[in-house]
Order: sequence, then C-alpha cells, then structure tokens
Amino acid sequence: MSEKEHAEGGVRFGMVIDLDKCTGCGACSVACQAENNISFRPDESNKLRSITWMSIFQLNNGRNYPDYKYAFLPRPCMHCDSPHHSPCTFVCPVNATTRDENNGIVTHIYPRCIGCRYCIVACPYHARTFNWWDPKWPEPMESMLSPEVSTRMRGVVKKCTFCQPRLLKARSKAYKDGTDPDKATYTTACADACPAKAISYGNLRDPHSDVARLSKDPNAFRIIEKLNTEPKVYYISTQDWIKKLSYNAVTQES
Amino acid sequence: MDFGRRAFLQFAAGAVGGSLLSPLPWQLAADSARWSQNWSWRPSPERGEITKAAGICTMCEGGCAIQARLVNGNRAILIEGNPANPLTGGGICALGASGLQFLYAPYRISKPMKQTKSRGDVSGFQPISWDEALAELGKKLSEMQAEGDSHAAAGIISSRPSSMADLWLQFFTAYGSTNLFRMPSAADGLKLAAQLTTGKASPFAFALGDAEYILSFGSNLFEGAGAPSAVFPALRQWTQGGKRSVKLVQVESRCSMTASKADRFLAVAPGTEAALAMGIAHLMVRNGHYDADFVKSNVFGFEDWTDGTGKKHEGFRSLVSSTAYSPEAVAKVTGLEAAQIDQAAQEFAVQPKALAIWAVGQPDSVNGIYHQLAFAALNTLKGNLKPNGLVTLTPEVPLAGLPPVQKQEKADEATRNGLYGFLDSVRAGSKQPIEMLLVHEANPLYSMPETKLVEEALKKVPTIVSFSSFMDETAAQADLILPDHTAFERCDDVVGVPWAPFSYYAVSTPILKPLLDTRHTGEVLLSLAGGIGGSVGASMPWKSYEEYLKFRVEGLAKSRKGAVADKPDVQIIKLSAGEAVKPNFTDAAELWKKLKAGYCWYDAPAAIAGFETVSGKLELACQSIGTKGAVADDKLYLPHFELINPSGDESEFPLLLVTYKPSFTAGGYLPNPPFMNKLIPNSVLKGGDVFTELHPDTAAKLGFSQGELVSLKTTQGEATVRVNISAAARPGVVYLPVGLGHKAYDNYVQNKGVNANSLTEVQLDPVSGMGTVWACRAQLRQV
Repeated sequence: MSEKEHAEGGVRFGMVIDLDKCTGCGACSVACQAENNISFRPDESNKLRSITWMSIFQLNNGRNYPDYKYAFLPRPCMHCDSPHHSPCTFVCPVNATTRDENNGIVTHIYPRCIGCRYCIVACPYHARTFNWWDPKWPEPMESMLSPEVSTRMRGVVKKCTFCQPRLLKARSKAYKDGTDPDKATYTTACADACPAKAISYGNLRDPHSDVARLSKDPNAFRIIEKLNTEPKVYYISTQDWIKKLSYNAVTQES
Repeated sequence: MDFGRRAFLQFAAGAVGGSLLSPLPWQLAADSARWSQNWSWRPSPERGEITKAAGICTMCEGGCAIQARLVNGNRAILIEGNPANPLTGGGICALGASGLQFLYAPYRISKPMKQTKSRGDVSGFQPISWDEALAELGKKLSEMQAEGDSHAAAGIISSRPSSMADLWLQFFTAYGSTNLFRMPSAADGLKLAAQLTTGKASPFAFALGDAEYILSFGSNLFEGAGAPSAVFPALRQWTQGGKRSVKLVQVESRCSMTASKADRFLAVAPGTEAALAMGIAHLMVRNGHYDADFVKSNVFGFEDWTDGTGKKHEGFRSLVSSTAYSPEAVAKVTGLEAAQIDQAAQEFAVQPKALAIWAVGQPDSVNGIYHQLAFAALNTLKGNLKPNGLVTLTPEVPLAGLPPVQKQEKADEATRNGLYGFLDSVRAGSKQPIEMLLVHEANPLYSMPETKLVEEALKKVPTIVSFSSFMDETAAQADLILPDHTAFERCDDVVGVPWAPFSYYAVSTPILKPLLDTRHTGEVLLSLAGGIGGSVGASMPWKSYEEYLKFRVEGLAKSRKGAVADKPDVQIIKLSAGEAVKPNFTDAAELWKKLKAGYCWYDAPAAIAGFETVSGKLELACQSIGTKGAVADDKLYLPHFELINPSGDESEFPLLLVTYKPSFTAGGYLPNPPFMNKLIPNSVLKGGDVFTELHPDTAAKLGFSQGELVSLKTTQGEATVRVNISAAARPGVVYLPVGLGHKAYDNYVQNKGVNANSLTEVQLDPVSGMGTVWACRAQLRQV
C-alpha cells in the first residue's frame, strides 16, 4: 500500500470483524458455502481437506478452570495488500491469481489455475483450499447450485473472493442504471449473514464507511502483522489474550 | 540429400522455437485447462432469471425473517436473512443459511409410505397414494372414535408456537383425546414458574433490551442459536464500539461461550445455580436490599402466612434467612467463595435495572420447579414485575380464536409438561392403552433425553403415524408416513418468540412449489376432520391451510393492535410495556398482504396488570401447589434449593455427566446439514468418534490421555467416546455435546458420535411432573 508503481483505484475493499461480538455461531461460514457453491463430503473431520473459505478458528486463553476463556475467530482470505504482490499472487506461475488493483480483491481464475498449489504454501493464513477430488453433490442438492458462481472441479485452488460475483452484479447494475461502476458498493454473504453484526465490509478508502472507521479503532489489529502482508481484514477485540495470539501464527483449527 | 544430425537438431530447435512463437502451444494449454474444468459430470447449474422471495424460517422457534434467491422461480439457490426485518437486520443462523440442504435433502420422503415388513425395517416402506394413506388413517381414527376409544389416539408435536399447534389442539379436542403433547422445551419451566407465581399460564419474558445488569443462571445467550430473533438484537446492542453497555454475570458449571464473554463468570457445581440464587436472596433480605414497598403491597408469602383452613405456614423471608442459605453454606454447596456471593448479591441489589434470567436459549429444562421459583424470587424481590418492569409475560398474539368445540374436556395445554409421565405410563402398560401415536415436526426417538424410555414406550403402541418430511429415527419406526412439506414449501406462521417481551407474529408463504408428492400436514388434518365429520369436521371448517391462517389474521386485524414492521429501523426491543403502537394496516386483506411479503407484525410488551393467584398477589408462597393434594412440608410452597438426585451409586458412577448444546450442531427436530458439519471442531468430533470433555485433573486421576478411547457409562447406557482434555470443564464433571449420534437420514448425517440423549436420564419434578435434565451419574473406563 506504500509504493505505487501500478495504478490504484480509490477503492480498497476490506473487512472488520469484531471478535467481542462474534459468538462463533458459524453463520458466516455457512452463508459463504451456500453463496459460493462450495462442496462438502460425508466426513468433514479432516480439517486439512475440509473446504471452508471462511474458516472459524478456536482460540483460548490457556488458563485453568474457571478462568479459562475461549473465542472464535472467523478467517476469510485477507486479500493482502502488500506492495506489488500478495504472498500468493507473487508465486503463481501462470498468473491465475492476481490482485485487482482497481479494488484490492485478490482474484482467482479457475481455468487458468494448473493446481501447483504454490499459492497454498505461500499463504501464511492457510486461507486457500484445493480440490483434491472432483466434488460430488448428492443428486437432489445439485439443484441448489447458483449459476452466478462457478463450480470448480478437481485440480484447482480456491479461496474467499470477497464475493466477487456480487461485486460484478453490482457493477452490472450500475452500468444499467447509468451510474459509475467504480463507485458501486456491495456486501459479502458473510457480512450479511452475521446475526451479531460482527462483520463489517466496505471500502477502506471511503472515510465515511463503517470499515474505514472501525479499522482505525484503538482495539483493531490484524493477524501476524509482522510479516508485512498488509491484510485487509481487521479484527477488534478488547481481550488482550486474543491480540497476543494474533501476533504469532495461525495453526489449523483443532 | 544429406540430412545429418546437426541439421536435424537445428530443424527440431527451429520447430520448437517457431511454434513457441506461434499461438499454438499457448492456446492448447489454455484449452486443456478449460477442458479439465468442463468434464461432463461437472454440474452446470441452469441459468435464468434470478428473483427474491421473502419468507420466515420455521426451522426453530426463532421465526427469523429470511429471503430466498430463486432461478426461474422454481429453483432455490440461497436462503439469506431479510435485511428489512428490524429484529434480525438481515442476520441468519448457520441452520437457516443451510436451509436448502433440507429442501433438497436426499433423505426426503417423496410420497406417503406404508411399512410392509417389520417395524424399523426401512427397506419395508412401500409408497402408497395419498388417497390410500388418508383413507387408512381416517378409517382407523373413525373406528376408534366410534368405539369410544378417542383417548387411545395420542400426538407428539413441536414445541414451536404456531397456528399449526393450535390446529392440532383443536383436532384432538374435537376428536375427544387429551393425549396431545408438545415436545419438552425450556420454556415449559418458565411457563410453570409464571403460572405458580402470577396465576397466568404464559412463560416469563425478559426485557433483554432494557436491562443493564443481567444475572444469567445458565442461559446460553452467546451459544449462537436458540431463538436468535429474541436474543441477538439485544446482544448487538450490548457491544457497541468495544464497550459493553450491559454487565453480564454468567452462572453455570462449564466455561461456555457465554461464560467466556460474560463480565464475570461464577463457576458453580452442576445444578447448584439455584443455591446461589437463594444465597443472593438471603443477603438481599438480610441487608434490606430489596424493593420493600413492592413486596409489601404486591407480594404474598414473603412473611409467614395463613391458608384457607387457618393453618399457619412459613414464609419466604423465614426460609431464605436460614443459615442453610448463608454465604458460607452456599459457598460450600456451589464451590464458590463466600466473597463472590457477597459481591454478586451486592451488585444485583444495587443496580437499578438488574435482571435475573434462566432457561433462555436452553433446549431442555435443566432446573426443577423449585429452582425456577428461586430464580423468579430474585426478580420478585427486585420489583422487576412492576407493570413496566424488566419481567413480563409472553404476550398473547390477538389472532382469531378457533371455534369452540362441543366436547367438555380440553386437551389441556399444561399437559405439555406431562410428556415424560405419559411415556412412562405407556411403557408401563397403563389401564388406558394407546392405540395410535401421531408425530409431527418432532423426532422424539432422537431429541428426547432418556432415549430408552421413548424406545420402550413406542414399542407398546400398535400404530405409529409420522408426518415427517425426512426419514428420521422416529419416522423409521412408523407404520404409516404422510410426509409434510419442508419449511420453505409450506404456508406456516410464527406466533410469538420465546423469552421476548414484545408481541410478534409472522407468516411464511412457500418460496416455491412443493418439489415432491408431499402434503401440508395442516391440510391433511383438515381433510381428516372432514372425513371423520361430526363435531370434528364442524370445528375445522377451513378448506385450505392458507384459508385457516387468513381466518386467524382476520382476528389480528380486527384487534387494531400492533403494527407491521415495514421499516428496518423500528426499535422493537426498546418498546416499553403498554406503549401504544399505532396500526399501519386498515383491514385483514392489507395485513395479510404485508405479512405475505415477509414483514412481521409486532406489538409492545404487555404490562402485568394484576395477578390471578389465590391471593390475588404475586406469590412467593405458591398456594396453588396446595390444590394438587396435601403438602407435607411448608417449604414445598416456597422457592428453595433441593437437587433431585440422579440415579446410580456414587461409588460405581463417581462422575457427573452434563450435556451441553454447542452452536455448531442443529438443535431439536433437524439433523446437522452437511454445511454445518464443517463447523464441528476436531476437539468434539473426529471421524465417527465424539469427544467427551474433561478437566486435566480429572483426566490425570483416571490416567487418560488426549484422544484416548474410553467407555462412558451411565445408568441409561454405555458408549465409546474419546477424551478431550480441556480446562473449560469443571473437575469431576464430564461434558458431552448434544446434536450428534444420528442413526437415520444418510451418510452425511449418520454415525457421527453418540446421541447424548441416550445416556442422560430425566428426573420427574415431584410437583408438576415436568422433566428436568440437569446431570446424571457417570463413569469413564479404559476400553
């Protein structure tokens, strides 16, 4: 976000998740799955193979009963804003994943992806998933697949796209309405679904937006900031033990 | 011509270099990438016009407003929250968001089924036509009635408040059977406590949006589910900008999500929450920190009292002042420090808007009636039941009442507490045997604790009829299945939201045409009533379920009460009791139109206007307990702490097993949809093994290590589980989540863990027969 050798728009979509409000209900994770045609398997206990774009991590303060506390941390793709490249876009050999500098969303073109999984290795947040097998839906459930989002076969990587199809829809609507598509706003499925309204989504560069204001909250922080990935997903928590855990690493949810 | 090796290599290199400069290999690479994404078995969802349909989710009692996204009007591709609703603001829970996985479930029953082999043999179900199914059921019901055996028909229906429940009640009443039961829920206890103390048969409601200090006795406020419409609007308000405006004190044994988020967590031994309540009341009375004016003018039984026969009885003041409820004594019982009890009592007493809550968000009644009365006593002492107080009663929605039935005996709504007692007598082979059991929107064989009781009782029933849309555990045992439409295919309504002080009504209309050959159970009932004729037919004159709902809404329109929330910023939870709400509809047709469009109707909370007890006051000494027969001990009229002992020998079962409802399992009637399976962490489920949670000290004492396979045994049964060592668990107590262990449906649902209900036992409350599930004795052994 500092050196700008490429043109950037006035839009940088980001997210703020208030962990004090988050109850870990999982509505965000499920809404994401429903919106994005995410497949599922009979046994989802192998978390290395389970496909969730919005994963929910469980954190605890490590203290003994009754001072033990735990919290949930929903983790979408961070859409890292590090200069020139996000960690994942930097390593892609075929440019299947790039960061759209008009709005900051790290996108992924499924037919171009060759499945080398270099980006999965590069992502420090474990935000990317891979289709090791062709996804199979029980037949009646194929009816609930949305035609607005692609279904992805084996051999490609996929991750949270900040609901890019919704952005494209909003832009199309703006074209039709005669307004500026670059100013079109939209929200993600997870932000819409959250019953606690813990997830805010919008343009970080818009000084009037909730996300811009909340991202500057004194209790706002980002995960593993020291890696200089410049994630565009901020978290808010008044609990110090949660902030401390965010400095270090993201391990696979237990 | 001389064509040497060098020339060949030059030619080859040139060919390769040349073709690389041409589009050919790049195009081939791109084409094969595209080809690999377009196998013939790749689903290609049909494109078409995308439209939205508003509705109400009826998968739990929350009644959240939803909207569905449809392709070509006949294929639903998404269920999301409806942002126009002021309560949910577009939010939805994980179960609602997975809603389509039930509409399109592979385990749906596609048409009526008849069991042709032995009971429970799923392969024996043969499809029959609706005419056949209705004829068979109608014939049996008519025969039973003709022989004077109406009581031999029994029904178990959902605890969800809806017009469907009222229709069932009408049917059973007209038919002549009092054996209609609703699945047990935590609201039963709230209703009974309210009935005993106020004389009105309506559950307590808590003004979560108005309180500033909440003393929660085990309520799962932050556990993610359980009527989100009532709870989440308040929760959203509580944490604004990093500041909590409401102080929450959580009292329970396990470090739950609510305990983690509370400002203070008072960790007590399981079941002793009411001891803490009595301890706090003790201090409030001793220090004079209670609303003395309110108690003096409006409360009966605080002081010693005399009954109708002139006999003198001990009052609450005397009982609670005993040393048994001193901070030191209560500390011993609960495991807290006396200083913590002092602090809690001090805070609760001093805070002007302090509220004691319990049972909110819990699936089962975990507190016996006397414990519920203890929690209620705190609100009484605080003066919370004043007309505009923090505690009111769930208001009645002024829908049109159903036509009066000729029969004298009414299938008493209070019998909903008696389901356990009923099943017990069926199992024992009572003098009035049950011939037929009808089950609708309920799965008692799975969802009821003490599964053995349900299993053995069902064995005694010759005919089981299920209206389930899914081949669930109970439907698998049925002799006849008349499948209902699923939630989003049928006309339905939500009459009030549990625990909410405001009045609420919403109608759900189908988002698309029914997919399979199913029928709305309401219409099946109307059809059966018509077939049986006589007073039954006359009591249910509607031709369709929609006509019936329109009839009810007419009453609502005529009442000129409440308004439709057609703007998202209506502050429903901020309405105070008795506040005037101006109707924004002119007639029933307009109201129906707005309800159909997905807007909800609401009204202000109902101020408590007088009490209908024997004394005409709010009773701390519940005199109506005496009407059930001789009361041996004065304390049986009063709130007090007394744990109903679980069965089993402590030496054989040294641990206590407590079940808990996590946010990532679907509660009640529906199983976990595949989307929600991903939410279950490995510390709870791995493969087919569920983990029981125990404290490191307990594990060390038993010599268990993390992940070890052990046998968990209670007096009800035994299961093999794995050990999860966690400091969230109270030492000496083991915890098991509910919602797993299904044996029916399909391989996405089945065989994941153990049904916690099969291990728990139900204690029958001595006064009401209400079942409580607070803990059972358990042992853990190496396998």
